[in-house]
Amino acid sequence: MKLAFALAVAVLFGTGVHQLLQRDLVRVVVGFVLISHSAVLTLLASGLTRGDAPIYPLPKSVSDPLPQAMALTALVIGLAVVALLLTLLLRIARAYRVYGMHELGETEAEREERLREEAAHARAAEREAS
Amino acid sequence: MVAMLLALIVPWTAGIVLVALDGRRRWVSWAAVGVLAANLAAVAVTLGLVLADGPIETTTGGWAPGVGITLRADALGLAFALVSSLALLAAMIHETLGHVRERTFPGLVALLAAGLTGLFITGDLFNFYVFFEVAMVASYILATYGGLRTELGAALVFAIVNLLGTFVFLVSVAALYHLTGTLNMLEIAARLAPLDPSAPLLIAVGFFVAFAVKLGIFPFHFWLPTVYTGARPAVAAILGGALANIGSYGILRFGGALLPRELELSATALVVIGSASIVYGAVLAVSRRSAAEMLAYSTIGQVGYVLVAVGIGGPVGFAAAVVYGLVNALNKTLLFLAARMRGTLVGAGFVIGAFSVAGVPPAAGFIGKLEMFRAGIEADSIALVALFFVGGALSIIYAFQLYQLDFWRGHRSGPTSPRAQRALVVALAAIVLGTGIWPEPLLALGRDAAAVLTGGAS
Repeated sequence: MKLAFALAVAVLFGTGVHQLLQRDLVRVVVGFVLISHSAVLTLLASGLTRGDAPIYPLPKSVSDPLPQAMALTALVIGLAVVALLLTLLLRIARAYRVYGMHELGETEAEREERLREEAAHARAAEREAS
Repeated sequence: MVAMLLALIVPWTAGIVLVALDGRRRWVSWAAVGVLAANLAAVAVTLGLVLADGPIETTTGGWAPGVGITLRADALGLAFALVSSLALLAAMIHETLGHVRERTFPGLVALLAAGLTGLFITGDLFNFYVFFEVAMVASYILATYGGLRTELGAALVFAIVNLLGTFVFLVSVAALYHLTGTLNMLEIAARLAPLDPSAPLLIAVGFFVAFAVKLGIFPFHFWLPTVYTGARPAVAAILGGALANIGSYGILRFGGALLPRELELSATALVVIGSASIVYGAVLAVSRRSAAEMLAYSTIGQVGYVLVAVGIGGPVGFAAAVVYGLVNALNKTLLFLAARMRGTLVGAGFVIGAFSVAGVPPAAGFIGKLEMFRAGIEADSIALVALFFVGGALSIIYAFQLYQLDFWRGHRSGPTSPRAQRALVVALAAIVLGTGIWPEPLLALGRDAAAVLTGGAS
């Protein structure tokens, strides 16, 4: 069982990282969803015990309820974070009119170039003034 | 105990209400200032009680101890909570006196205060993760504050990198639970003691990576300059003055209290990474030509000192790490808030901050540097003392450059900042200066916080 969990976590994490490194911004978010689920699976795997459901009245042997509670919490947080990331993407797509990481990089590079030129102009103006 | 719970509940509930209100109205943002001031006061009162009578502990929801989530306020957590609350309050007042641009800003700052306070006083590992996420999610949205292209791009980078760090943290929590079967921070070290350190060492590396990403230590720093230069001054002050404390606190708590043996095993690695961070940050800060970038790289260098001090360890090393972390947070709050302002006395406030970063007496940074030198001598290492000296010399160079570029050459243009905002900068500068002139409370706090760690380890 542990091996199955380990394999599932590894595949999820690997695919997630692969998606994360893509240029498409939506794929980056997909990568996040996968990585967050690999973390949740790890949480579940951390407390793998055989037993009945821990519901009152307690049977003789119960499975550890704590990892399940943690996994639920992590899932809810993951959901909120994905919603937040998608909203952020929407705002970026509106502001930059781009959908890819590389385009974002290019726009940033242009801006830095512009800033550098402005600074050079300011220095030149200063030199003339002094 | 009431004060401790108030420190958590007041910003939490108020934050939820404030998010729903329009933060651009003046009364809403003043209400947020009130909430943050209440949070600061409650943290200060709790700290006073803890210093007098020892740690305060409570189990939430009336559960039996060991079942429910424990909140445990001690000197180490509260020291960082105090400075974080102060930084948040200063940033909120700064923005209220100027002009709040987005409706959710006051609510998010209040929620960030709740997340940070919770994280500093929780005694439960998974609860730490939850508060961590509360604080981080609020800060991802805060990073977009201003809503222009630069801020949005910076926010995306910030969110992506830090989310990855968070998942590494979560996986480490799971692994630690698997090994020890408990989430109570106090019990973990005891339960790990009989185990072979190979597995805990791997977990320790996971925690270290998570917090190093947060702090922006050298190999994990790549996101930091983009974000700190892209964000607005108030947000940069929040990130540098409040949020970065998570990293310092995390490394101290998880290294010093939870995994002390693993910390000793990896002490050399920590010192090496910290030294690399000091040199890298300082050299790049010297080579930069804009104040914002210089400050961002200086931040990378400054957190390196904290890491080296943690690597040295022991009462002196931990105390130095606490003192340096706190002073650094104060400096960064002051500098980032003053970075784009203009007018009389702003320059004076800024120069106090810059000299504090460089460690010139009587600013507070001098005390931090002094503690670092003490730790270096304690570790009997000439190389470390020399490193601190070189780092200090480089920071004097960039502090001067910063002042020269910004105030002498007059790159600052535009209308004078409102008088009240300038008064705030002066007040912050007075705190930095006051801590330097009368350092005894800060040093005592550092010693008490270090005693929490060394007391737990022995």
